[in-house]
Amino acid sequence: MMKLKLTLSVSLLAVAAIMPRVAMAEVSPLDLVGPIADYKIYVSENAEKLVTNTKAFTDAVKAGELDKAKALFGSTRMSYEAIEPIAELFSDLDGSIDSRADDHEKAEKDPEFTGFHRIEYGLFAENSTKDLAPFADKLMADVTELNKRITDLTLPPEKVVGGAAVLMEEVAATKISGEEDRYSHTDLWDFKANFDGSRKIFDLVRPLVEKDDSAFVTKVSGNFDKVDTTLAKYKTAEGYQLYDKLTEDDRAVLAAAVNTLAEDLSTLRGKLGLN
Amino acid sequence: MSPSAGSASPHPSSQRLMKLAVVGAAFLVVAGGAAFYYASKGMKSGTSGDAIVVTIKDGTCDPNTISVPAGRSTFTIVNNSDRALEWEILDGVMVLEERENIIPGFSQTLQAKLKAGDYEITCGLLNSPRGILHVTPSAESDAEAARPALVAYLGPLAEFQVFLVTQTNALVKATQALDDAIKAGDLEKARESYQKARLPYKQIEPMADRFADLHNAIDPVADYLEKREEDPGFTGFHRIEYGLYAKNSTDGLSPIAAKLVADVTALKDRVRGLRIPPEQIAKGAGRLVGQIAETKITSGEDHYAKTDLADFEANIAGVARMMALLKPVAVQAAPAVVADIDGRIADANSALKALRGPDGFPPYDSVNAENRKALAQTMQALAERIGKLNTAVGLE
Repeated sequence: MMKLKLTLSVSLLAVAAIMPRVAMAEVSPLDLVGPIADYKIYVSENAEKLVTNTKAFTDAVKAGELDKAKALFGSTRMSYEAIEPIAELFSDLDGSIDSRADDHEKAEKDPEFTGFHRIEYGLFAENSTKDLAPFADKLMADVTELNKRITDLTLPPEKVVGGAAVLMEEVAATKISGEEDRYSHTDLWDFKANFDGSRKIFDLVRPLVEKDDSAFVTKVSGNFDKVDTTLAKYKTAEGYQLYDKLTEDDRAVLAAAVNTLAEDLSTLRGKLGLN
Repeated sequence: MSPSAGSASPHPSSQRLMKLAVVGAAFLVVAGGAAFYYASKGMKSGTSGDAIVVTIKDGTCDPNTISVPAGRSTFTIVNNSDRALEWEILDGVMVLEERENIIPGFSQTLQAKLKAGDYEITCGLLNSPRGILHVTPSAESDAEAARPALVAYLGPLAEFQVFLVTQTNALVKATQALDDAIKAGDLEKARESYQKARLPYKQIEPMADRFADLHNAIDPVADYLEKREEDPGFTGFHRIEYGLYAKNSTDGLSPIAAKLVADVTALKDRVRGLRIPPEQIAKGAGRLVGQIAETKITSGEDHYAKTDLADFEANIAGVARMMALLKPVAVQAAPAVVADIDGRIADANSALKALRGPDGFPPYDSVNAENRKALAQTMQALAERIGKLNTAVGLE
């Protein structure tokens, strides 16, 4: 795991250092208006879905329905994970909705450890809904606030285009290792959502890049397809298999594809004149 | 990227070997980072060449207060704590830039383009006290703010596109409801739906009236047609309004409503494909408010339903939205003009609000000449102020 992180951070540094700051002259900022508007609509739809799904999830937690709450955990998170480049712009909400125990001084026992992973800890590690109601209420209030803030937010264009790589870095940093959903092992659900979110951004700007660099587009699409095919093997009726079912071979395929995607997608901003 | 990025190997021995290699590599990076760190320590305020080095240890940043000129800056974040951390530059609760997952003993580099102002930097865990980042004005950033580049308008233009999509979706939906009510012969419901459908149309009028063919089909007023109400070209909203309010009936309106649904759907698709340069926002808004002041207030448009005041209110809501979208960019270049526009929008809204009764707006024919004149003057003042915006931000 360490190896992967190391390779990734070093390679990203290298990419950042050599990345040319020249934009393709053909892409006018006006060409990006449509893709960014479409992405805002995608983000808004996901934020609304997050509110709806979180309601069902937190209702189950509060009603003490342990099995139902466990079953809803993975799918509820997906609409958050898909729009993470925008959701995490709000530092206060990202901290209260999606921080991990490591982000807090006293880890799992820290009173400020709240949100999805605190509830995950209760449901899966302690196998109980006991004392989770306040965290459920807080999570519901936080995602409602997030939805409202997203509606009012003018998306920073460089965060949208840069988001495609950010999502892949996120997968490489915390998903491939299985540390994000360490109690529930539903990492493959997050994984899938991160991929979909990244691919959405890529697909939206693809026509602008394609005419000048079709080789780049083919390579990135190929890697996205590879990830889709690999993840599809673990699809179940409800969602995805637990992370420990992922074979070493498939993990290697995914890790390689993620790293290449993170590296390639990190050049998108430069290609579109947004550095 | 190394082809061995999938570090997992089925062979324990090679795994051990890999671990050794990782430790070795980690040592090199730490040593490199440390060398870099100590080299940079000797320099003032943690700068090394162009990069500002920030070292994080025990929940504090060193240096804890940083000052940089506005524009592009490079930061090197060295993690000397024992836990992986993320580093963020915050503007209030908003993250401007961040690096995630900086491993203990490692450093990462971050480039940020910052505007003048005071920001915070994070220094370890979520509850660690934050450091301060002062960004001082620079000649380069002042010049950029005075004449924003096209790319600065990208966010506002995208958000305007979202606004147009939202409003045209609402327009199509409300027009379908109107069509349904007319088909059902339900006069009351049709009147209610008519009024609802007008509002999204009026909000996006500065863009909707750019398509002459659709505008003439959707919103023609009988006054401009040869045979007035009997003219075959009298279609769209006002033809339906004429039926519902002058003839008190839904009779014969079905084909007109169906055509209106088709036309607003076409409008929705065309608006989606609009490529709107930034100067068109203030231009469109100013033109519409000017028309309200010069002609619409005098002659009125809704001769049968007499709901002109509701139209004006929706027009001003749309204009206010357009101005609010430009504001973050425009306020840096032309703060006085932006404040003036805000003030005149507030005046226009108060003037309309003053005409409201307990049951909403009164029929427009009951608004006397004096009140109309006052309203027209408020609108004229707003149109003039909006007319100054493009020049003030260097768009024309």
